[in-house]
Parts: sequence; structure tokens; C-alpha cells
Amino acid sequence: MRSSAVDNGLRTGVTFGIVIVTMFLIGFTVTGAGLIGKLFGASDSATPSLMFYSLFMILIGMWAGASASPRPLTEADTFKRALISGLVAGLVSGAIAAVIGFIFGDLSANKIDPRTYLPSVSPDSIKLFLFNQTPLMGSLTLLALMTVSAAVSAALSFFFRSNHWLKNKSGETSNAARGFFQSAGLNRVLQSQYASYVFWAITAVVLIILPRVWGSYWNYVFGTVGIYIILGLGLNIITGWAGQLVIGYVAFFAIGAYTFALLTAPEPHHLTVNFWVALALGVLVAGISGLLIGLPILNLRGDYLAIVTLGFAEIIRILLKSDLMTDYTAGPRGIRDIGGPTILGKPFVSDVDFMYVIIVAVLAVTFIAHRLRNSRTGKAWFAINLDETVARATGINAFGSKLLALSLSAAVAGLAGALFASRNQFTGPDDHALMVSINVICLVIVGGIGNIPGVFLGAFALKGLPEILRETESYRLLIFGVLLVIMMRLRPEGFLPARRPELEKHAAQTPSGKEA
Amino acid sequence: MLKVENLQVYYGAIHALQGVSFHLEQGEIVALIGANGAGKSTVLNTVSGILRPREGSVAFEGQAIHETPPQDIVRKGIIHVPEGRKIFSRMTVTENLEMGAYTNNDRAAINRDMEAVFARFSRLRERRDQLGGTLSGGEQQMLAIGRGLMAHPKLLLLDEPSMGLSPILVEQIFDIIQDINEQGTSILLVEQNAQMALAIADRAYVLETGNIVMQGTGDDLLKDPKVIAAYLGGH
Ligand SMILES: Nc1ncnc2c1ncn2[C@@H]1O[C@H](COP(=O)(O)OP(=O)(O)OP(=O)(O)O)[C@@H](O)[C@H]1O
Ligand SMILES: [Mg+2]
Repeated sequence: MRSSAVDNGLRTGVTFGIVIVTMFLIGFTVTGAGLIGKLFGASDSATPSLMFYSLFMILIGMWAGASASPRPLTEADTFKRALISGLVAGLVSGAIAAVIGFIFGDLSANKIDPRTYLPSVSPDSIKLFLFNQTPLMGSLTLLALMTVSAAVSAALSFFFRSNHWLKNKSGETSNAARGFFQSAGLNRVLQSQYASYVFWAITAVVLIILPRVWGSYWNYVFGTVGIYIILGLGLNIITGWAGQLVIGYVAFFAIGAYTFALLTAPEPHHLTVNFWVALALGVLVAGISGLLIGLPILNLRGDYLAIVTLGFAEIIRILLKSDLMTDYTAGPRGIRDIGGPTILGKPFVSDVDFMYVIIVAVLAVTFIAHRLRNSRTGKAWFAINLDETVARATGINAFGSKLLALSLSAAVAGLAGALFASRNQFTGPDDHALMVSINVICLVIVGGIGNIPGVFLGAFALKGLPEILRETESYRLLIFGVLLVIMMRLRPEGFLPARRPELEKHAAQTPSGKEA
Repeated sequence: MLKVENLQVYYGAIHALQGVSFHLEQGEIVALIGANGAGKSTVLNTVSGILRPREGSVAFEGQAIHETPPQDIVRKGIIHVPEGRKIFSRMTVTENLEMGAYTNNDRAAINRDMEAVFARFSRLRERRDQLGGTLSGGEQQMLAIGRGLMAHPKLLLLDEPSMGLSPILVEQIFDIIQDINEQGTSILLVEQNAQMALAIADRAYVLETGNIVMQGTGDDLLKDPKVIAAYLGGH
């Protein structure tokens, strides 16, 4: 019988070997190394330094090791098995990379330029791939580097997982308990109350300082991330918790943005309502529109809500764009010079100030969402999501609960829309295309549907990461796509699934217990 | 206590109940038996307010309830345990029971009721932190009934509680039903297992394609040749 540890390592190793070779062939090894260099503040140069390239490869090796180490961790998994998986994964992926590296190195040494067929494989990139060494030495280095980093990271990730696992099975003894690092001391420190105080204090300091120091570009990027976090938290209420798919969520975003814009911009209505009043009205109008949309359809079974909101969003966008409404909503031109926040009459409009406004809004919405989740209403939503018939049989007013969820979701989207319009000082029909809805749905799903931290992660991954990857220009979408595919493969329920995995372990730990 | 008169229920063009009338007095167990598709579940769904009759009336303790929304019917004390082990699969046993007490806000009372449920179904106590969906079929059925009890029903509507259970478990479930009844809850019982249902029922009705075709005490129906031929697998 073949050991599953070797098997596991083999499979992961082949996958990662192919990934490395592909990256090399499209010239991404150079780009990736350059990216790492940027992260450490190295200046731009045509070929990044060897050190950053090594670091890049080590990261990939560690990733391979982490994927190869056993998951889920069962009692049969020992430290040795984890190490073997990692070692095999590293060896195999390293060997694949080394063979390809050797072939290309040899070709290059014989003055054959592969660029005729593979435009991205320049002699420089081959040299870098082989650590500026001879083909033989270079490919051996590659092999060694991958093996060591994968083994180390498999060992490390075993340690983290077994620790985590211990926490869930507190009290019970098991192999893993007797296994490698026991580190009860570390656990105690991590679980103590002070650790959480320290954590929050650091977070608060970071949140206060960062907007001041990292410049307006990052304030812009993370302002957008913040607005999408708000949107995600909002959509989570109706879709994640109450389980009702809303496709045209952008409609409420648009209603919030336009309500706010029309109330504070000089054109077309010459209104200059106070920021906070306009913000509240934006939220209110969006919330009411959610209520009105929900009234006729929420007592129907099926996904009518998805379809109706989809239509609603398109109607709103087309109306905003049409000449018909130009006198009222400024038509396709959009609305300019939208007002910013003021506090006690003092304008509050620099990018730093606005970042603070967004941070406060995110915190407020997070707090409300958290309270809702654990409330009676939150439980009713969850019950409806799981089984509407039974929910009604236990005395839940399904229609009322769904209606409340939809208008709360809409109100939160209104808040996001108003903030968005105010920050950009402009809003037009194109800000409210269906793509916004799709992005929000994606970020909620990627993060782990129904989960609050998941929304944060999803928003960073979908709105922050593409900006960070902007440096890599043409590869941006490629990497992004690859990341999405990998993550949906590893975590089909999202990065941070809302359902409590520790409870569902029972299913995963059956003897045959390994998913294909 | 419950008076159903001339109930006419449609699913679109399907005329599922064609004038069903029956009654149930305080403290009784009334069984409703019939073949697949006869309309038994439809009757329960209509009584609990999930379906609306096109004609006819349902009265509970003298008040018409056929236009009352289901959540208010629950508050009046009619609890429906739907067919097919309908529990919240991704909630724990404890959380499922808490949902049963959704209409109750008194934390201490909820805990007391939960203890009572655990006393009745000790298996559930052992599995209190396990997800509902990972329980065995019989345990899920117990959980569904337990959840119903959490709301202090005056009238419990049970839809095929013995479905898919082993003979021993069926006996247990029927014992429990009788016990619940003895402690003062009236029960409207829908069953495929006519033998057992008639044995514990005070009175029973036989439903056939949307019509009540026979009625009588449980004992009488057990001896009725037509019932024996059609529902008791007799000769
Ligand atoms: N949602 C529905 N839509 C259309 N027809 C339905 C629906 N539910 C039930 N019916 C039909 O109504 C009739 C009565 O169904 P019902 O579920 O009440 O039967 P039942 O007596 O409970 O049967 P069983 O013993 O199999 O549970 C059946 O002919 C069924 O096909
Ligand atoms: Mg039925």
C-alpha cells in the first residue's frame, strides 16, 4: 500500500512543478522577483537581484510544502508524515523545475535563443532562473531550495494546524498532543485576554497612523476597499444570512450615491445640505427603496428577488443615463462637486480625513452587523436560510424577517454609495454598472459567505490585491485569476467559512475521511 | 378544540382537499391515515397556516384561524412538526431547540424546557453540541419533536413521526407521543403506520384523495375489514 503522505506530496509536487515551469515560460519568474524587490523597496532595474529571486522561489516552495502537509489533520497524522509530504512535494516540484531549467540553460549555453518560440524566455531570465550559475549547478540549487523550503514549511504548518486542532479538541489526548511542539505556554499567551487587548491596541494605532503616512494613492485604494467592505457587510445580511440572493445590489448603492449627490452638489438642484444630514437621507432613501422592492416579492418562493433586483438595477442605470432625467439627475454627464464632510462647520476633505470617515463607517457597520448576527433576528434569518418551512413552523415571521433584512442591506448599500460619491466628489451612471454588484457578490463568496471577517478578506482580495498587483501590469488579471482558482479549489466555502468548521469535523474525520 | 369544516385546498389546478371536515377535542389523540398523496400533509399545512384554504374554515378554541399567519398560529399554541425530519441541519442540537422556543423570551424558562426535552430524549443530551444534520434519522426525528415541545404546544401536529425508523424506534416514538399526550397536549397524528397510529388514537379519520371516507374510534377502525384490507396489509 502506498503511503498517503508520499502520495499527497507527489500530487502537490507535480502541480507546483508545472506552476513553476509555466511561470518561467511566461517570464513571470523575473516579474515575481521584481515584485518582491519592490516590496523591500529596491529600485527598479531590468533584472532583479538574485536575493529577491531566491526569496520568490522560497515562497513558492513554502507554499507547496504548506499545501502538501496533511489536511484535515487526523489522529493518524504525525509530524513525520507531514515532513515526508513536504519533502516529496519539494523534491518533485524542484526536480521538474530543475529539468526544464537545465534544458534551457544548456540551450542557452549553446547559443540557441529560445525567444524565437517563447518570447518571454530571454537569456537573462534563464540565467536568473538558474541563479546565475552553470546549468548543472543552477538546477541542483533549484532542487535543493525547493526541497528545503517545502519541507520546512510543511513542518511549520503541521505545527500550526496541530496546535489549532488541539484547541478544538480541548481535553482529549491524541497523537498530535503527544506529537511535536506542544507549546502549551505559547497557547496560553495567545488565548489570554491581554493578547486581545494588545491586538486591538495595535490595530487602533495602525488604523490611526497608516492613513497619515502612506500617501493619497493608498488612501484611495483602501478607501475603495473600505467602501466595498461596507457593501459586502450589507449584502451579507440578505444573502449571507437570510439566504436570499440579490443580484442588483448596486441599485441601492446608486440610490444612496445619487440621493447624497443631489442634496449636496451645486448642480443640478442648487442644494447644499449638510454632509451628515445628506448621508442619513441617503441611507434612509436606500433603505426605503429596499422595503418597497421587497414588499411585493418577498412572500414568493424562489429566486424572484435575484431577478427583480437585477432588473431594478438596470432600470436605474438606464434612467440615470437617459436624457429624460437630465434635468433631475444630470444625465450621462454625472454630478460634479459633491460635498464633503464637515465637523462643526470645519471642512474635512483631505484624503487622510476621508479615510478616517471611511474607517469609522466600516467599524460602525461591522459592529451593527455583529450585533445583528447574534440577535434573535439574526437567528431567525439563519433559520429561514436553512429551511423556510420549518422556520415558519417555529413561529418566525419569514416575510417580515426577509423584508427587514432586505431594507437593512439596502440601507447599508446606501451608506456605501453616499460615501463613495462624497469621496470622489463625483458620481455618474457608469459608477453604478452591474459589475459593482458582481464584485460584491464575489467578494462575499470568496471571503466565506455569511462571515464578517470573511467580508474583510474578500474585499482586500478583490479590491485591494488587484491594485497592489497593478505593478505587474499585464499579468495582473492572470495572477488574480490563478489566485481565485486556487482559492476556490482549496476553500470552496470561501477563505473563512461562516459555518463552524470545528463542528463539521465529525464528518471529515471518518476513517475513510479524505476528500478526493 | 380544533374544528375543521369543508376544507378545500388547491395547488394550482390540483384539487388536493375536496371538502375535509373533522374535529379534535381537548386531550385527544386523533389520527389521520391514508395512502400516499391522499392529502394528509396538506391538512396539517393548512391547519398550521402554511397553506391557505380556498374554501372552508379552521377554528381553534372557537376562533377562526384559517386567515391567521403561521407565526401567530404558533403563538396560539398549535405546533407543526413537518414531515421528513425537518430540522435545521447546520445548527447544533441546542440551537435547534432554542429555535423551537423562538416565541419565548424567557431565558430561564427556555433552559428549563430544554432540560425537560433532554430528560425525555437522553440521546439528544449526549449530542447537544453536534450539528443537527449529522444526527441519525431517528435522532433527527426526536430533535424535531423536541423542538416542537419547546414551544409548549396545546395542540401538536405530527406528520409521519415514524417514517424511516427501525421497529424498536417506532415503538419508542409512539410511547413518547402517548406520554406527551398524557401530560396534557392534544395531538393530531398523521401516519403511514396505521396499525400503531390506530392503536394509540382515541379517534381516527381515513383520508382518500382529498376526502374523509371513514371515521371512528381507533379500536373500531382497527377491526374494520375495509381498513384492514387497505391500510393494515390484511387479508
Ligand atoms: N407543493 C405542491 N404542488 C403541487 N401539488 C402538490 C404539492 N404538495 C402536494 N401536492 C399534491 O397534493 C396531493 C396531496 O399531497 P400530500 O402531501 O398532502 O399527501 P400525503 O397524504 O401527505 O402523502 P404522503 O403520505 O406521501 O406524505 C398529492 O397529489 C400531491 O401530489
Ligand atoms: Mg405527507
